[in-house]
Amino acid sequence: MSAAGRAAVTRGVLLRLREQLEFTRKGQELLKMKRDHLAAETNKLLPKIAERERLDRKIMGAYESLKVAYLNLGYSGLYSQASTVDKMNVRIRPRSIMGVIVPEVLVEKEANVDSISSPSAHQAGLELKNLMKELIELAEAESRIENIAYELMMTNRKVNALERVLIPGLLELIRYVEGRLEEESLEEFFRTKRVKQVIRGVQ
Amino acid sequence: MRFPSTIYLITRTHGRRIHLLTSEDMRVMAKSKSLSEVVDQLLRSDYAGEVSKLPTGEVDSVRLEKIFLGTLVERFFTLMRDSKGNARDFIEAYAARLEVENLKRILRAKHVQEKIEDRNLIPLGREHTLINFQALTKAENVDEAVSLLRETVYASVSDRLDDYRRVGSPIVLESFLDSLYFARVWERMGGLVDNEGIKWLVGEEADLRNLQLVFTYKMREVPPRLVEEIVIPTFYRLRRGILRSLAQGRLEDTPEILAGTSYDDVAEEIVRSREPAIDLETILSKRLYKDASFALRNLFLELGYVVAYLLLCEREAGNLITLTTALDLKVPEEDFQRRLLL
Repeated sequence: MSAAGRAAVTRGVLLRLREQLEFTRKGQELLKMKRDHLAAETNKLLPKIAERERLDRKIMGAYESLKVAYLNLGYSGLYSQASTVDKMNVRIRPRSIMGVIVPEVLVEKEANVDSISSPSAHQAGLELKNLMKELIELAEAESRIENIAYELMMTNRKVNALERVLIPGLLELIRYVEGRLEEESLEEFFRTKRVKQVIRGVQ
Repeated sequence: MRFPSTIYLITRTHGRRIHLLTSEDMRVMAKSKSLSEVVDQLLRSDYAGEVSKLPTGEVDSVRLEKIFLGTLVERFFTLMRDSKGNARDFIEAYAARLEVENLKRILRAKHVQEKIEDRNLIPLGREHTLINFQALTKAENVDEAVSLLRETVYASVSDRLDDYRRVGSPIVLESFLDSLYFARVWERMGGLVDNEGIKWLVGEEADLRNLQLVFTYKMREVPPRLVEEIVIPTFYRLRRGILRSLAQGRLEDTPEILAGTSYDDVAEEIVRSREPAIDLETILSKRLYKDASFALRNLFLELGYVVAYLLLCEREAGNLITLTTALDLKVPEEDFQRRLLL
């Protein structure tokens, strides 16, 4: 749709359009900053995500130890040993990164496996306990990345919309209004000149 | 000179021994592809009655474990019913290992104020014990549970409550229960005429239990003073001094410290193991059951034969639990074969 017919051609409108353009450009700058910050945050989290494979191997190792404890003690024996574990406490609180709400997991109390008397169950418990902290960190990083990636995509869309649609539209409108105003002032100038000529001719 | 009742007991035990599953039976079962194949083979054993009651779709390692433990309890108490006099007193004290295990399980749960259900205990009937397990399972915490033991042979557990609070772990109470158990068995053994074989088996078990305690806490780097505090004061071949040296020395030095005690080979095996914490229980149990098998072959006219039989009943239950759990968890055969106590 062309700019013509979309706005009244007055100096007031031109001023308002220029103000709007300036505001939109500032908004665009801010969104670009937000985008860069979110991208930097994602980059910071990527090494943690890369740990997943190592963690998978550790989980398999801990699972093997657990299986041995299971084989040694049976279900009821292992259940009894596991019941002595002082369980871990975690608190999840929301944190804002450039307006994006991400979860932050705080380990308030670590699990205590020292009361397990069976050596094989204790070994399995110890491996799982050590793993738990890393698993929480990974889950936190994955959840953050998920939220940030969504926001990054939305911010990118907004920046693109401003850059390719809104700002060019405003510029076109301003150019149109400026052109029309210039035409009107030329017309006015010519009319005044003609009036002066007519008056002089009559004299 | 043996009493006729003792001879009768030994003779009955000889008969019951035939019902034990052999190592070959275990190996065959270990090759099974599924639990239903194991169940089919168990239908030809002492477990047939209970196993046949299980609906086909409800066969799992947890239900089977309950049956194996139930049969173990039954075997212990059938033997007790066959005995008289001092032998009966001794077997009664010996069978208390089952109620001690249940007490440990309850105290572990009460340590973290958790509820414990009957299905997580060894199925001991009211006729087999003087302890009111129903009441114990409902206790709120360790203090309440221990107070319920006031009128029993475990009343002195309350003397260790301060130590339990200081250390903050039920391990102190567990080892004290073991101490009470072995002290009682040792005392009742004194009333028997030919107790050499029993002394050897019970003494080795106490020693191996102490070795497990020392090795376990050594690997966890627990201060030697605390390890010395929790050892079971029933010493057979391992004197307190040796246990102290073990607690204070390095893990690699244990075979040297144990030289001349007949446990040096066990220590060697533990030190050589790639994962000593994981293999410790298997290594020590294998040694105990190896001794029991030896006793079963050589002490056939002594009361030691009865103890050896009971130990092998335990081994059978343990092996069946390992086997069925392994099949349920789909553990490869070669991995769980070495965990079987054959």
